[in-house]
Amino acid sequence: MIIAERRTIPEILENIEPYKKVLLLGCRGCVAVCSAGGDREVAILAEALRLARSRQGKEIEIIETTFIRQCDPEYLEPLKELGKKVEAVVSLACGVGVNLIADLYPELRVYPGVDTSFYGANIALGEWVEKCRGCGDCIIDKTAGLCPIARCAKNLLNGPCGGSKGGKCEVRKDMSCIWHEIVERLKSRGEMEKLLEIWKPKDWRPAGGEGLRIRVREDLEI
Amino acid sequence: MKKALKISILCCNYTNLSEREDLEKVLGVLEIKRFPCSGHIEITDILRAFREGASGVMVGGCEKGTCHNERGSERAEKRVLEAKKILEEIGIEKERLAIFYIPRLSAEDFVNNAKVFYELLLKLDLKEKGQ
Repeated sequence: MIIAERRTIPEILENIEPYKKVLLLGCRGCVAVCSAGGDREVAILAEALRLARSRQGKEIEIIETTFIRQCDPEYLEPLKELGKKVEAVVSLACGVGVNLIADLYPELRVYPGVDTSFYGANIALGEWVEKCRGCGDCIIDKTAGLCPIARCAKNLLNGPCGGSKGGKCEVRKDMSCIWHEIVERLKSRGEMEKLLEIWKPKDWRPAGGEGLRIRVREDLEI
Repeated sequence: MKKALKISILCCNYTNLSEREDLEKVLGVLEIKRFPCSGHIEITDILRAFREGASGVMVGGCEKGTCHNERGSERAEKRVLEAKKILEEIGIEKERLAIFYIPRLSAEDFVNNAKVFYELLLKLDLKEKGQ
């Protein structure tokens, strides 16, 4: 899922400084699962902003609501009416949601309430770790399902660097060297010959090198 | 007229049996909100108490290992830590929010903790005024 983190309250306050009536819009997609922008986070942030503004002597009216998703136009439709009631929107969706609102509702002033961080897994309660970088040209079929692009600090494609020590990364001592894990896993499976293969140079164009990435499935289009 | 210092006490229903006369021993204005379990106290409840004029918020939970719901007061402690971070971002001293583990049904401990907390808030207020 997409992992996000709430922006600091001073950052959000600065963006909405001129406004007296604001919509705080959560999303029940990824940001709800990673506890950054679901119903609960909307309620907490709304109360925090009210408290902060009351201390500034500038009361604020906040409408709180959460959409099922903010990355699909149909779920954003209630904004047509809701948007008329407020001066600005703070979206707790990932950057996709904020961008889509900005595209579809150009008259609305929309500000991000979270920083969009990475694609990650919820490995324990309250803990999320990056597993994929969305580079668009997967090589994990050759690396026992472990991604060196997302999980190697140097994005190496040809085995561990000289800094790998005792299975740990030299950049972050608390982080496993993913190439060490890849080698160990392939060795235990008797598949080390997979690493003897000379790979073609990685195609970085799908990682964004050609600008905006677009995916079309003509069979689904109306 | 000088504004009285207000303490908002959010606590588990089973944390105290304090009666009006017990609480008279504590100076300031006390507002007590009882919850079915301290684990049910949300960050929003804490922030709202500040917005409604509390100088400090005291979260009271049962001592560890004595919670009816096993880990309610531990859950409350974590929420208090998170709320403290938010208070700091807003510019409110995090010491104005505290969690107390109180033996179940002990009015004396409850009142004593409130007295100590009152003194702390008084010092913070004086420090703020001195700046």
